[in-house]
Parts: sequence; C-alpha cells; structure tokens
Amino acid sequence: MSFRSAALLVLITLLCCVTPAEAAKISDVVETGTLEQARRFFSLTDNSLRYALFGSILLGISCGLLGSFLVVRKMALVGDALSHAVLPGVALGFLWNMTKDPVAIFIGATSAGLFGTLVVGWITRTTRLKEDAALGLVLASFFAVGGCLVTMIQRLPTGSKSGIDKFLFGQAAALSSQDVTLMAASTALTVILLVLFYKEFLVTSFDPVFARVTGMPVRLLQELMMLLLAFSVVVALQAVGVVLVSAMLITPAAAAYLLTDRMHRMLILAALFGSLAGVVGAFFSFLGNNLPTGPFMVLGASTVFGTAFFFAPRHGVVPRWWRRRSRGNRISRENTLKAIYRVLEDRGFSDEGVTLEELSALRRDTLVEIRLQAAALAQNGLATVDEPRGTIHLTPQGWRQACAVVRNHRLWELYLTNAAHYQADHVHEDAERIEHVLGEETVRHLERRLEFPHHDPHGRIIPSLREFDRYDAQRAPEKPSGYRQQ
Amino acid sequence: MNDFIPNFDARAVFVSPWTDTFATYGWIMLMGFLVTVACGLIGNYLILRRMALVGDAISHSVLPGIAIAFLVAQSRHSLVMFGGALAAGIVTTLLIETIHRRSRVKQDAAIGIVFSSLFAVGVILISLFASQIDLDADCVLYGEISFVALEPLVTIGGIGIAPESVFVMFLVAAVVATLVILFYKELLVSSFDSGLAASLGINPTIMHYSLMCALSVVVVSAFRSVGAILVIAMLILPGATAFLITYRLPKMMVLSVVHSALSSVLGVHLAIWLDCAVASAIVVAGAGLFLLAWIFSPTQGLIARFRPQLLPIEAART
Amino acid sequence: MHDTPRPAPPLEIHDLTVAYHRKPVLYGIDLEIPPGQLVGIVGPNGAGKSTLIKAIMGVVPAASGWIKIFGEPFKKNLTRVGYVPQRESVDWDFPVNVMDVVLMGRYGQLGLIKRPSRRDYEIARECLEKVQLLAYADRQIANLSGGQQQRVFLARALAQESDLYLMDEPFAGVDAATESAIVTLLQELKNRGKTILVVHHDLPTARSYFDMLLLINTRVVAFGPTDEVFTPELLQTTYGGRLTILSEVIQQVGSSAR
Repeated sequence: MSFRSAALLVLITLLCCVTPAEAAKISDVVETGTLEQARRFFSLTDNSLRYALFGSILLGISCGLLGSFLVVRKMALVGDALSHAVLPGVALGFLWNMTKDPVAIFIGATSAGLFGTLVVGWITRTTRLKEDAALGLVLASFFAVGGCLVTMIQRLPTGSKSGIDKFLFGQAAALSSQDVTLMAASTALTVILLVLFYKEFLVTSFDPVFARVTGMPVRLLQELMMLLLAFSVVVALQAVGVVLVSAMLITPAAAAYLLTDRMHRMLILAALFGSLAGVVGAFFSFLGNNLPTGPFMVLGASTVFGTAFFFAPRHGVVPRWWRRRSRGNRISRENTLKAIYRVLEDRGFSDEGVTLEELSALRRDTLVEIRLQAAALAQNGLATVDEPRGTIHLTPQGWRQACAVVRNHRLWELYLTNAAHYQADHVHEDAERIEHVLGEETVRHLERRLEFPHHDPHGRIIPSLREFDRYDAQRAPEKPSGYRQQ
Repeated sequence: MNDFIPNFDARAVFVSPWTDTFATYGWIMLMGFLVTVACGLIGNYLILRRMALVGDAISHSVLPGIAIAFLVAQSRHSLVMFGGALAAGIVTTLLIETIHRRSRVKQDAAIGIVFSSLFAVGVILISLFASQIDLDADCVLYGEISFVALEPLVTIGGIGIAPESVFVMFLVAAVVATLVILFYKELLVSSFDSGLAASLGINPTIMHYSLMCALSVVVVSAFRSVGAILVIAMLILPGATAFLITYRLPKMMVLSVVHSALSSVLGVHLAIWLDCAVASAIVVAGAGLFLLAWIFSPTQGLIARFRPQLLPIEAART
Repeated sequence: MHDTPRPAPPLEIHDLTVAYHRKPVLYGIDLEIPPGQLVGIVGPNGAGKSTLIKAIMGVVPAASGWIKIFGEPFKKNLTRVGYVPQRESVDWDFPVNVMDVVLMGRYGQLGLIKRPSRRDYEIARECLEKVQLLAYADRQIANLSGGQQQRVFLARALAQESDLYLMDEPFAGVDAATESAIVTLLQELKNRGKTILVVHHDLPTARSYFDMLLLINTRVVAFGPTDEVFTPELLQTTYGGRLTILSEVIQQVGSSAR
C-alpha cells in the first residue's frame, strides 16, 4: 500500500517537472497497393514503420512478462481494470501542456492506473463488495471520467487534432521516437527487475504466506509488480489502446501457460508470443490502410492462444483427445488378445491359430466386429490373419502381450481375493479395468506379495514372466501359433 | 486551459434542461434512467452471484454480435440486434466455460481472453465495413445517448409516443422489472445457494442461462446509448451503492432504482455544464453517488468504520 | 529473560488475542513450548488451530499480547522457523516443478537477488531423498498425488533447516504410506533436537503421534505431556460443553462493539 502511494507521489512530482515538449509528429502513411505496403513494412526504410515495429515488439515483451504473473496468480481481471483506469490519466497527462507529450502521458496514465488498483483494494477491504464487483466498478467509473475528459479535450480547438483518440483502439503508426525510447526504457527496467528478483516474484506468486515467513518483503514485491504492470500497460497503450491492452497481458501468457510447466519458460514464451502478436497486429493494421492496431494485435494473440488450446502437446484439447483414443484402441486390442489366449487355453494350446468363429462365440460379438478387431491386431503387428482359413495367428510380440494382459488380469483377481478378501465371483469386473493399467513394477510387486502364484482364484494358470519368452525358444517366428504347455 | 472547464452558468445548467430544451434533455434523462434501471436490476443479481465480470465480458462481446447481425440482415431492426446479441452472449458464456473446463486456464483469464477477442473482432468489423454498419468507434466507447431526441417518434394510433430507442428501452426495462419481481424468490434462492435451489426444483443452470439471456438483451438495448464499456458501470454501480446501504435484497432493488434516477438526472446536468459525453457523465454521477454511500453509509461507511470502538480486538483485521 | 542461564524456549506466547472481523478466534493464549518436543495442536473446527500458527508467524495480526521465537520477535528469527502450509493454500497448477518448490525453502537463507547455489541444490536433493521423492524432482507439481504434494511441502520445510517447525495439518488427505513416512520424519527431526508444532485434526492418532498435546478451543484448554492431557474430561472440555458458552459471550461482547 505505502509503496504504491509513494510511487504515485513520485510520479506526480515528476509530472510537475515535465516541460512543455514539442508535439510528436504523427506520420501519415500514404495509400498504395497491398503487396507494395507489405514490402514497405518489412523493408524498415520508413521511420514511422520502424518505430511501429520496435514498439510492438517491446510492448509484447513487457506485457507478456507481466501478464504471465497475472495469469498464474489468477489476477487476470486486475489487468483489465488497471488498463481501463488509465484513461483519465492519459487525458490529464495530455492536459498538462496540451500536447501528446509521452512522458507526461506516461506519468499521468501510470498514476491513474495505480490509483485505480488502490481503490479496488480499498473497496474490497472496507466494504462487503467482492473483488469482481469492485474491479468492474473501478474499471467503468474511471473509464467514464476519462471519457468525459477526452470528449472535453476534443472539443478544444487544439484537441481535435491531438491524436488522443488513438489511445482508445491503438495506432502503432502514431508512435514517435520519444514513445519508442520510453517503451524501451520501461521494458528494459521490467526485464532487469524481473531477472534480479525472479526468485522473489516466483515464491510470492506461488505461496505468499510462505514467502512472508521466509522473510521476503512480500508487500513491497507485490507493489513493485503492480508498478511494473502499470508501466507495461501504459507502454502498450498507444499501440494497442486502452480498451484492449488487457488482452495483450492475458492472452499470450495464457497460451504460454498451456505450453510449459516451468515459470521461466512461460515468461520467455509469453514474451515471444506477445511480440509476435504485436508485430502481426501492426502489420495487418498497416496493410488495411491504418486500421486501429489494437484489435489486430489482440486477434493475433487469440490465434496463438487458440492454437495452444487445441494443439499444446500436453494440455491441448486435440492431443488429449488423441491420447484418450489411442488408449481406448490399446484396451480393445488387449481385450482381443486376451480372448485369443482364452480360446487357445480352452483347448490346451493344442492347435495352431484361432478361428474367427471361435473368437466371436467367446466375445459374444458379430463376425464383422471380430474381423475388424483382427485387422487392428494385424495392423499393429500382433497377429497375422489367414484369410482363406479364417484363422488368426499371434506373432511372438502378440503372444507376449496376450500373456502379459492375462497375467495382469489373473494376478489382480488373486490379489483382490487373497489380500483384499473379495469374493471370487466379484473380482472379474474390477480386473477387466485394472489389467490395462498395471505397470511392470506393480506387477512384480504383486507377484512378490502373492508369493509367485501359479493359479488364479478360478483355478486357471497364471502365465509367468519366464513363459513369455519360451515362445521364441520353441518356435520359429515365421510359424506363429499359440503356446503349448509342457 | 480556460475554455477546458466552461464557466458555470446556473441557469443554463439547472433551469433550461427543464424548460426551453426539455424536449431534448427530458428524453435523454428518461433514456438514461431506463438504461440504468434495467441494467441495475439485473446487476443486483450479478453482484450477489459474484458474476460482475461476466457482465463485463458480455457487454464487450455483444459488439461482434450486433455487427454481424447488421451485415447479415442489412437492417437495424431491434429484433435483429437482439438476435445478434443473444447469440453473442451465449457464445461468450459457452466459450468461457469451454476454455476453463477443457484446459487449466482459470476462469478469470478465460473471461479476459474471450471477451477481448470477440470485442476485437467487433471493432475490426465496424472499421472495415464502416459504410454498411451504422455504428462507429465513438458510439462503442461513449454511446450516443444525446441523439435519442433526434430519432423519429414511435406512433401508436397516430399519436407520437416516444423516440424509437426510448420506446424499446422502456419495454425492455418493463420486462426486466416484471421478471425480477415475478421470479424474485427463484433468483434469490439460486443466487444464494444453488444446491438448495436444485433441491427445491429450481434448475440452477436454467436460471444461470436465463439471467445471461436477460443480460444480453439489456446490454444490447443499452449499447447504442451508452456503449460497450460504460454499460458495466450501469450494471454494477446501482447495485453496489445499494449494497453498501442495506443488507436486504428488496431494499437493495428499490435503492438501485433511486440510484438510477438520481445518476441520470445529475449526469445530464453535469454533461450540460462540462459539455462532455452524456453517458460518461451519467456514470461519473453514479460513481459520485457510490462514493457518497461509501463514505457515509451508516453500517459500512468509512466514517462509521473509524468510530471509536469498545474492544481492543477491533484493531485486528485480516 | 536474557539474564537467565536457561536458553530461551523455542516458542513463548503471552496473552495472545486474535480476531477476525471483530470476532475473537484466539483469546488470551499463554504458552511456552520446551525445546525438542513434538507437539500436536488439537481442537474442534474453528477452534483457532491454524490461526495460532499464522499468528506465530505474524501473518495474522495479533490484537494483543506478544510472541517470542527463541527469545526474540519472529522477524528477528525468521530463518529459525520452518513452515508447512495446508495443501489447499496454493494453486497446484502453478508452473513449477518439485525441485523449484523445494528450492524455495532455501530462499530465506539466500536473501534478496542471490540465486540458489550448487550447495542449495544439493540440500534440496537431500531433502527430497528424505521424503522419497527424488525420482520426482522434475515433475510438475499438479502431477503428484495428494500425499506426494504434502511430502513436497515437507521437503521444502526441511530445506529451510530451521529449529522450530510449524505444520498446518500435514496429515490431511494423505494416504497411509505418506502418513507413516511423515511420522517417521517428524520423529527423526525431533531426535535431532528440533521443536515441531503440528496442527492435527484426528484425535485417535494424536495420542500415538505426539509427545505433548495442546488442546485449544479459542482458549488453551490444556497443554502438557500426551498421557496427562489426553483425558476424557479435558477432551470433553475442548470439544463441547462449557467452552461454547465462553465463546458465545465473547462473541456477544465482540458484536456489541460494532
């Protein structure tokens, strides 16, 4: 609290020192063909384009970094409130000497944003209103004050061409060299402080009580983070606009959050995504003949997020679905293998191959269904199908897997009856599920626990580990068949 | 700098809106009141259900709904707009749910991502098709409430009744008020304890989505007048102010109506004096009223808090 | 106190009162914990067990009274206190792995800005070894079972290398194996002369786990060796009966102050 108030005071004092500066020039970009525009954008010959590009990269970095902390601390909407609350500060900074002086606007906006977050804190602490209501209230009320001021400025003779409207939806092309210098300074400060205090920020975000117990100045660190957050919002303001800045904080960081499980990687990724979104946004708004930049940057960030949401290797929707599906396939294959084993077992492992009819009788499935299952086995190299005779022959690998799954099943049944005292007729259903998930280690453990049993509760033989490989010793691999008991 | 804050002319500010220019400002005040009251009544429940920021999200995301509805139907008929906004509202709610159910992204971030993306789409659409969509960026930000008096009157039986948007807003506000009164106990129970509500046969999901639909309709009908962002203030301020003064829901609803009336009247006067955007001024007035309630509320006000206490234990707070 | 030859006790509390929203949660607590003891804090829900721990660490402000850690205020002896919070108090989706969390235990000794050294990594690894989680060092913390998560917190507290440990319900929601592992670990810490305060919610096991018991319900009901304190009368006083009247009266006093 005290730190934020002190920061506010310092900023306001600084504002008083700002001398009327020369109004920044907003370079107008002439209209040409799309390709020509694209070429111009990337050739970096044009000063205003260079500023726009650098500015977008810088804002992407600082927003991505600070946004990451917002996302992991579940404070995403604080960023939203803060970004709307800066508007009156922008207007006041402009009023300071009636020009678009970057420093005055920077100080004004940062002060207003910090003040907004302070008010949110006061409201939640002194009233029964919850944080969400306080955030929404501050966000819209500050924005309304800003709206009044901005419309009053635009009414002034000097105000109409002030470019203050550019602060609402953003215009990267309106960045001046002063703006970019300020952005660079602020981003550098953010990066340096985050690197220096990385471990402190990490632990205060993860477990603030613990951080406090270990003697960290948690309050101070949180205020410092708020200050940096306000900086990054204000820095992004001119290019993204008041209304959409919060998206540049949250969206790239959320995308990074889906891609990694380590904070430092998340910070790096978020900064990368932020700059990428910034550049893409600046580019498209430039192509579209200086449409507002903010919405395009936000859409760029949303695209990155959408991609991560669907395709992130571990947390993405599609990979997760794929994993579930392949697990389902594996389970169905293992069930077929088990059925084949059972057929072979019933006839004492005497014959070679299993007919589809036998299998369909055992599994109570249609022949069509069995044929599909057999094809799935064949495709995975677990069995070969002898079409004219209508029989399935296990390959060595298939044999081993069939033994393994039967063994899992029977061991588990035995474990349930012996160690957990289940009734023998209650254990089959449970074993049907468990057999597919038992790991090698657990199986060994079970065997040891059950003292290397030979028979399951129903009196059937449990194939032991040694028997798995006996197949290879006895039979030539090109003559696949069931296992013959000795 | 001198012309920034115009001289205060008491006659121009306080008298003429009620006399010479009443034909204009009367409608504006009425419209402001209707918008605020409809939003405020719904907003009470958003506050109680801790869903204030879902209101924030929906108010932003109706923009693409309206823009697309315009582009597809080529009409600015109210029903078309309602359709677009309802669709947008439902899409928003569903997207937020999907993101936070299907990934480890938390709800607050999901809200932020969804509404900003949709809002960005909306802004791009209205900038690209500026000629076809009868909306512009200023309207999205500040609303165009001051133009209501210029609209053609809706006529019933040959008698002009009210400007079209005032008329529509009146209907919406009336419907919202009726629904809130009719379903008072269902809303109360489901907001307070959704488990209890379910056991009483009130489906909390249906209540939730009905509230979202009502919210979308209110937001879209208020949209042209007050824009996408100020509408959040209209949703939250009346209820929040009332919440500071009373503990009971019926009183809270009455107080939020009073707040709406006061803020729209005061706001219009403020706007006349300062010559600024009217909708913003209404919100500033509403925020001022909130501030007063915050300071002077008998139970939770700042002054009440600093009264001398009887026990030393009072000094302790979380 | 400094004049006495006897070393200062690990924890000394005098007339501590803590209130949440004007309602007293702890009222006039006096306590002196002798060194090298394994102390269980037992009491019904809402009795102020966790609040006591938080008040000791200065996380919850005290309305009156004072607390001394080894004869000094908490702020002066930060590094001598290790803390195990409740498992639900953090977001387990946070992007850190097991090693990162355990290293946090070293941050107090490190001070600002400095990075963990190779030695800090070694200590963290040893602590993970002690809770049998070394194999999981690279795992993201969400991919652990409840018992494993609790053991990560324990390892972090071990890495603090403190003399007084405060643990908030370390046995809540853990499997039997973890529970016995934690008990062994606590015994080992005690044998090395550490003092351990454990908030515990399960009465039957409390008797066998701890050397001393602190029964609280807003007030200290009893504090002493487990055999002396674990009596039906004292437990009855803690969990029901007379004290509710006291707390009601206190609450009335509290609310009349509004």
